[in-house]
Amino acid sequence: MGLIQRKIEARGIPTVSITVAKDVTAAIKAPRAVFVPWPMGHHFGAPFHAEIQRSVILTALNAVQIIEQSGVIVELSIPWAEVRRQSKALTEQGKKL
Amino acid sequence: MAAVNLGSSKTAEPAVDPRETGTQLRPGLWPTINERYPGSMISKSDFVPLAKLARPLNECSVCLISSCGVHLKSDRPMDVAHPLGDFTFRRVPSYARQDELIIHQLKYPHDDADLDINVIFPIRRLQELAGEGIIGGLTKNFFSFIGYNMDPEKFETTVAEGIARAVADEEQADIALLAPA
Repeated sequence: MGLIQRKIEARGIPTVSITVAKDVTAAIKAPRAVFVPWPMGHHFGAPFHAEIQRSVILTALNAVQIIEQSGVIVELSIPWAEVRRQSKALTEQGKKL
Repeated sequence: MAAVNLGSSKTAEPAVDPRETGTQLRPGLWPTINERYPGSMISKSDFVPLAKLARPLNECSVCLISSCGVHLKSDRPMDVAHPLGDFTFRRVPSYARQDELIIHQLKYPHDDADLDINVIFPIRRLQELAGEGIIGGLTKNFFSFIGYNMDPEKFETTVAEGIARAVADEEQADIALLAPA
């Protein structure tokens, strides 16, 4: 994914990626990234948790506007256990969000 | 439960559950994968100069690119059986409904994404942000492929080059949001 990101940025389009593996993203030197400490397959949080899914996107879009140096990785340090607890509560309410 | 690691020294014995700490759940992923699939992981020594935003965020057209292997149910499935991977990609209309989409990929847990695709491919959330005027809009198509590709050079000249060209020339995106899976 880092390869694609670098190619798009080189074509003049600002890019930002979401990563759960900071070391992999650092190795490929992605232009801008947001690290979330969550499992693979959960880059935007948990099912039916619209608020956290949205907050990841907004954090990434903000990163595009504020990062001034290539290779910077910002962190959204909400522990996975907390995301999961919130999501379970939402899911039990009926998968309607 | 409280986040019990706050203020603790980095040299202390790891005594807390990583799910509670806000740190990478699987540290050392790069060497781990490279050991299992030699040559599959890439490092770069140079940084790409940053491109500048052409216009304010609320005028920007956003494109989503994901390695989650999602595509329209009516589209050709990804090849999840080939030992070297699938070096093709799919266009996903940005206005697609969630029930029109399916994930074909085996290499990451997508149980939760099958319940709510926005966990890995936040198409509904982006539609909402466009509808609210927080972003200017969405490109006509988003892009998806499977992240399991065991030939980085072939990947670079096929999937990476093809998507980058399409995002710039066909979609004329102002911002590219990329989500590995």
